[in-house]
Amino acid sequence: MPILFENVSHIYSEGTPFRYSALSNVNLDITEGKITAIVGETGSGKSTLVQHLNALLLPTSGKVTVLDRTIISGEKPKDLKGLRRNVGLVFQFPEYQLFEETILKDVEFGPKNFGFEDSEKKAKEALKMVGIEESLFEKSPLELSGGQKRRVAIAGILAMNPKVIVLDEPTAGLDPSGSKSMMNLFYDLNKKYNKTIIIVTHDMEQVFAYCDEVVVMSQGQIKLKTDVKSFFKDSSLCKSFGILAPHLIRLKDSLIEKGFKIDEEVDSIESLVKIVSRQVKK
Amino acid sequence: MNSLTLGKYIPLDSIIHKMDPRSKIIGMLIIIVSIFFPSGWIGYGIIGLSVFVVVLLSKLNIKIIFNSMKPMMMMLLFLLFINTLVIKDGDLLLDVFGFTIYSEAIFQTLYITIRLFLMIMTTTTLTATTKPLDLTLGIEDLLKPFKRFGVPSHEIAMLISIALRFIPDLIEETQRIMKAQASRGVDLKEGTFKEKIMAILSLIVPLFVSALQRAEDLANAMEARGYSPGKPRTRYKVLKMKGSDYTLIVCSLILMVSMIVLSRMYA
Ligand SMILES: Nc1ncnc2c1ncn2[C@@H]1O[C@H](COP(=O)(O)OP(=O)(O)OP(=O)(O)O)[C@@H](O)[C@H]1O
Ligand SMILES: [Mg+2]
Repeated sequence: MPILFENVSHIYSEGTPFRYSALSNVNLDITEGKITAIVGETGSGKSTLVQHLNALLLPTSGKVTVLDRTIISGEKPKDLKGLRRNVGLVFQFPEYQLFEETILKDVEFGPKNFGFEDSEKKAKEALKMVGIEESLFEKSPLELSGGQKRRVAIAGILAMNPKVIVLDEPTAGLDPSGSKSMMNLFYDLNKKYNKTIIIVTHDMEQVFAYCDEVVVMSQGQIKLKTDVKSFFKDSSLCKSFGILAPHLIRLKDSLIEKGFKIDEEVDSIESLVKIVSRQVKK
Repeated sequence: MNSLTLGKYIPLDSIIHKMDPRSKIIGMLIIIVSIFFPSGWIGYGIIGLSVFVVVLLSKLNIKIIFNSMKPMMMMLLFLLFINTLVIKDGDLLLDVFGFTIYSEAIFQTLYITIRLFLMIMTTTTLTATTKPLDLTLGIEDLLKPFKRFGVPSHEIAMLISIALRFIPDLIEETQRIMKAQASRGVDLKEGTFKEKIMAILSLIVPLFVSALQRAEDLANAMEARGYSPGKPRTRYKVLKMKGSDYTLIVCSLILMVSMIVLSRMYA
């Protein structure tokens, strides 16, 4: 069952002079079991969109379907807890939500709220997944570095074992190796446990390397939804949205411009080198 | 949170919005003082009408004024309740099984309600038509004469403007943390007592941490740009009184004098 947005609009501060239309008439389906990237310039409504997935924001008009739940504008949704347990949302800069005395307790907070019996076990597993060592478990979350805090906050959502994991710029501000291991983790969660992953990101290299589908947003509207392969077929489609294509695609394009013939799909620098060297030898 | 109209600036293009904050503050103070004179129904009618004219001139929606009265409703009902119990003067209006209500009780409550309403109407008009920063500039200027007596007018103004500047940030931050914790299953409405305590803690602790962090960041940023509290500073924005400003002050002075006269006549 896909995740569906039907004619969804969201207006902040409706009925005041500060009224702002952040989403207008969004129609979108997100396939389950895939990694979907949501991209777009800042202020385009990405965070607003993803907060509809676990009913933190309710549509001003339209209809959102997630898992087996339908949220219709104007109706008061019931059993939000059930929805939020299954749709884990990691906020932009989630490190600010830590509050418990120890890291372990903080990660247990979510599972406990949802009435898990084995919340400690779940918390420890989640912390291991994000690469927090056991020696840190009893420390205060406030003593950690920014990057470590981010991991703990993400573990706090993973510990709830949600079916759908939504991440709002999870790697913003992390060091390159940190973001890479983070992205590998989401990739594994998708491949091993068939989790549906939705990632808001500005990093096209990540979209190219890890994601299956991509949604382009601009000014509160969906401009395009396609699979990653056809999105990065060459850099022209990206360019039309003002997005800088990944290095590899741009390299490929300039090689073609210089007279190389590259018809095959290129997904790594090695495969590109292979094609090019074959033609050079000729 | 979004219904928070009390004290919020509402950007419109009107003659009142364009006025000097100092004259608006002085005008408000004079009107508030006038409200304190027991000038009877006629007096309050005149004040109400004058403030209403100002509201009209400022193009504000009158609903905003009534909305900002809403938080007072409970208090006024409570006052009415106490008054009916305590005040036993005037005509007997109602007598049910020994529970009596006298006209004076109703009268007194109405009196206070009207005064409160006028005051809120005046202050809301001030805050709705004046940017918080302009308001503090105005306060700073008005406090300047008291510098001689050791009133740190600039520091007070800086304090107020920083506090005002952080209010929207903190509201936003609270909403953000609330949402983040709601994603982790926090439900402020339901749950046992212990769960509720935890839910509140999960809001308060991150809020304090981030507020302290923000304060420290701001202090560092100000120091890095050479701010030092005692030093004289020039201003980017220089306040200037215009004809409309003098008109407002003179009108409110006339209003106050008439209230004094009216209250003498009643006494
Ligand atoms: N609580 C709010 N009240 C009013 N307006 C808001 C609120 N939250 C967001 N907005 C506005 O809605 C628009 C979309 O915001 P949103 O946070 O969804 O953007 P975004 O695409 O996530 O941007 P970024 O990449 O910077 O995170 C912005 O113009 C923002 O100013
Ligand atoms: Mg965002």
